[in-house]
Amino acid sequence: MPSRPPVQQPPDVRVRTTEVRVQSQAPRRRSPYRGYVYVLPAFAIYFCFAVLPALHTAYLSLFEWDGVTLGDWVGLGNYQEIFQDSILRRSVLNALVLVVFFSFIPIVVGLAMTGLLARFRRPGMGAYRFLFMLPQVVPLVAVGVTWRWLYGDDGLVNQTFRAVGLDGVTRAWLGDFGAALIAVGLVGTWVLSGLCMMLFLSGVQKVDPSLYEAARLDGAGPVREFVSVTLPHLRGEIAVAMTVTTVAALASFDIVYVTTNGGPGEQTTVPGLLVYRLAFSEGKVGLAAALAVVLGCLILGIVYLINRLSRSES
Amino acid sequence: MNTATRQERWSGYALLTVMAIAVVIPFLSVFLASLQPAGTPVVGLTWPERWSWDNYEQAWSVAGFSDLIQHSLTIAVGVVPASLVLAALAGYALGTMKLPGGNAVAAFFIAGLTIPVELIVVPLYFDLRGLGLTNSYLGVILVEIALFMPFSVFWMRTHFQSTPPSLVEAARIDGASSATILLRILLPLARPSLMTLGLLVFMWSWNQFLLVLVLIQDTTKHTAPAGLGFFVGQNSTDIPTLAAGTIIVMLPILILFVIFQRSFIAGLLQGAMKG
Amino acid sequence: MERTHRVRRRVAATVCAAALVLPLTACDALTPGSAAAVPGPRSVPSSTAVPDGDTTLRLQFADAPLMVDALIAAFEKGHPNISVEPQYKTFSDYVQNLKLTMTSDTAPDIAQYAVGMTDLAADGHILDLAPYREAYDWDKAIPPVSLDQLTAGQTSEATGGRALFGVPAGLSMTGIYYNKELAKKAGIDGPPKTVAEFEDQLAAAKNADLTPLGVGALDSGGLHLWAALLNQLMPTDDYWDWVNGTKGATIETPAAVTASKMVIDWGRKGYYNDSANGTAQVDSTAQFAKGDSVFLINGNWAAGQLATVMGDNVGFFPMPGEKASAPTVASGFSVSYAVSSRTEHPEAAGAFLDFLTTPEAGQIISDNGFMPPNPDAVKKPEGVLADIAEGHRRAVADDGITTFPDFAAPAMLDRLRSGVQKLIANRIDPSDYLDSLQDEWEEHHAE
Repeated sequence: MPSRPPVQQPPDVRVRTTEVRVQSQAPRRRSPYRGYVYVLPAFAIYFCFAVLPALHTAYLSLFEWDGVTLGDWVGLGNYQEIFQDSILRRSVLNALVLVVFFSFIPIVVGLAMTGLLARFRRPGMGAYRFLFMLPQVVPLVAVGVTWRWLYGDDGLVNQTFRAVGLDGVTRAWLGDFGAALIAVGLVGTWVLSGLCMMLFLSGVQKVDPSLYEAARLDGAGPVREFVSVTLPHLRGEIAVAMTVTTVAALASFDIVYVTTNGGPGEQTTVPGLLVYRLAFSEGKVGLAAALAVVLGCLILGIVYLINRLSRSES
Repeated sequence: MNTATRQERWSGYALLTVMAIAVVIPFLSVFLASLQPAGTPVVGLTWPERWSWDNYEQAWSVAGFSDLIQHSLTIAVGVVPASLVLAALAGYALGTMKLPGGNAVAAFFIAGLTIPVELIVVPLYFDLRGLGLTNSYLGVILVEIALFMPFSVFWMRTHFQSTPPSLVEAARIDGASSATILLRILLPLARPSLMTLGLLVFMWSWNQFLLVLVLIQDTTKHTAPAGLGFFVGQNSTDIPTLAAGTIIVMLPILILFVIFQRSFIAGLLQGAMKG
Repeated sequence: MERTHRVRRRVAATVCAAALVLPLTACDALTPGSAAAVPGPRSVPSSTAVPDGDTTLRLQFADAPLMVDALIAAFEKGHPNISVEPQYKTFSDYVQNLKLTMTSDTAPDIAQYAVGMTDLAADGHILDLAPYREAYDWDKAIPPVSLDQLTAGQTSEATGGRALFGVPAGLSMTGIYYNKELAKKAGIDGPPKTVAEFEDQLAAAKNADLTPLGVGALDSGGLHLWAALLNQLMPTDDYWDWVNGTKGATIETPAAVTASKMVIDWGRKGYYNDSANGTAQVDSTAQFAKGDSVFLINGNWAAGQLATVMGDNVGFFPMPGEKASAPTVASGFSVSYAVSSRTEHPEAAGAFLDFLTTPEAGQIISDNGFMPPNPDAVKKPEGVLADIAEGHRRAVADDGITTFPDFAAPAMLDRLRSGVQKLIANRIDPSDYLDSLQDEWEEHHAE
């Protein structure tokens, strides 16, 4: 292309800058869309194997289909069933309960730890960081298998209670109607607390220590210091923590499948598990798709809400 | 800089240690249980009298965990390089070129961060089955690349956005094509970011369960988590063997984590933050 | 400049429109599924001759891995050019994935017959074996009644008679195991003759500070208990009608209510192991073997393991009826195997199934604690295995082998498991429980 100066010429800066300036005012020969060539492969795979299937799920949710024979159009009938059927409703409620354990508690724990540790820089954090992130790194199936064993009748959990004299608290955690959901929730707390802690601890490092000095000179106690100095700076991190943990709670599947398989009764049945079961063993593909759409919307809604809130405050 | 008193520092360490113990004990129990003789009903944190590695041998060969690990690696080897290449290309274009509608396209990718696996597995099973891609690693690889693409593109785009524009301008003045700019100049600089992304994608691919469960019915082709998921039901009474299997499934990702700690942690924390 | 803007906008609009329309065109048809996907039952070829050359068959199953290994070994010895690759999955994993597995292109050649097979049979995913039944003359080798359980309610297109979708290897039945030592401690001197007597024995065990009944309600133990009680109270014909989906059949009967009430009652009286709802069947069996409970509800598939661990200390009896003279009724099925319609080696698969009906196979089956379909062809078993064989003999003679309730509909297993868990924990009314079962039944059979 004639407009490109040949490389062999010795660079004449002044001439070149003028050329460039002139060129930027004339209509570009190269289409600005050319760059999309680079984006295309990523976009193609993303679209074909993620976006299209999501849309297809929404489409399938309008049918009653067993996966083999011809489906029946039911419009919004599946969504109606989700609101009316007690098991399906229950699964959504269970997912929301898990949000408390996966999201709320880890964030509180993380904030508490940060509040207690914020004031000083500690050497040796590397080792702690490694340990706290461990639960995040391993497959959730392995986590589930581990905790299923720990929650056994004579497992570590009950052993610990017995050791401190709380014999009355021991029970068959994963088979107990009252405790099963809590037990599963606490597994999530264990997995996600470390992440939240690390998020906040690293976020707090950008706080100017002089602010703490100032607060202390003002006579602020540790709580006031935390609320007025530390917390505002963590807004972004809290939003992120809420998003990641909430999505983990709502979309949970691995842990429940391996520990309780939804039981006892419907105590730990979550939408993720139901989508799988409805579509692939009960032959109710349309209903499963509708539940998946509800799940997706719930996630989208909550993430949007969190983003909105955090942005409006900052 | 240290505004804390000695007392505060020590109590801080104590607190951290307590939390760390709470985090580590489950892992430790499983590890210790895996060293007990097979078939013993191990119930809690017990120090084995004799350290027997037999269970690992058993889980590895007889229970087929070596195959499971291999399959997970096969998929990861497919997913990671492809994700890096595609994300680097897309991130480069979206991050350095002023593409018309570029922000909208980037937002379209980022919106995909909220797509849970459950939302796409149902039609994927039927559609891929029609294409003959179920029970095949290729199918799983393609879907995983697509699933991780939002984060990957976002990550690389953020990285490329932070390169000084003068660098790109200077290269363009010198007459370099976009491709050359990417390959010769920007990619070497992107190595740390690519490394972190590679580790994260490897981790997510390794830990995938639901997707594999749906797309691969042939149990002889399962990945490590899927195999473990089925293994637990069969061996809930043989705790040491089950524990050995669990450790084997966790080991590769743990090893990577130990070696590349900084990259991993930086990735998880920063990536979450910028999203 | 304006022209470029307009062009750009038009391009953007086209792209958006295409993006919206594309998904619709990407769907195969406007309606998911295909009318052509119901070819109806397909049958095996009429010839049984196995083609030459080496063949590999894949066999997926969920019960008795040891027995399957032994059967395969014996079969391969007699058929050196056919090798069989077993793939084991636990029962709940197997059943949950059965539909996916059998409708996929890589379905195994041979699969254990389980819940959901009736639908797969109707849709043509497993082969109708009726021609082989005639060609191999299986009615002579094993009692026809065990074959008749596997008709899936279909008529054979090939032979015009009843279809056949599986061949039984070991027959199964559920009942109560008891620990003789612990029973003596509780003052129980022998198997009960009526349900009421069994309840008294449970109370005696409770009074002796022992755990009366071990139940593995995390997966299937609970529903086996409920079904065992239901069998004593509900007329078997009505029960068969319900499981087979006969029009007008219902489970909401007084008999079912009574059975459900009993499950609740026993829970309230503390007759079950503490964590029944959190214990899987394998675990409850292992615990019983260790001496954790006096009785255990399970099937004969656990007999081999229990006999090995407990030796003479364990006995078995089918759940007794209301009166001592009542016929013996027990839930039973068979560990049977079906052939996928996607197999490329139907003849080889047929040869394997035929092997299962031979006395040699029968002996292997018996040695592993299962009941061979033809008990006369094998050595007399001893100990708890003899108890089981006797119980089975009586049930067969009384025409009292019923099938498991989860065969009533694909989603029934989930409802049963979850519902009985609630009965055990006294969290649901019998009428609500039965209502949920009937709803599921109606949803499936209303078509």
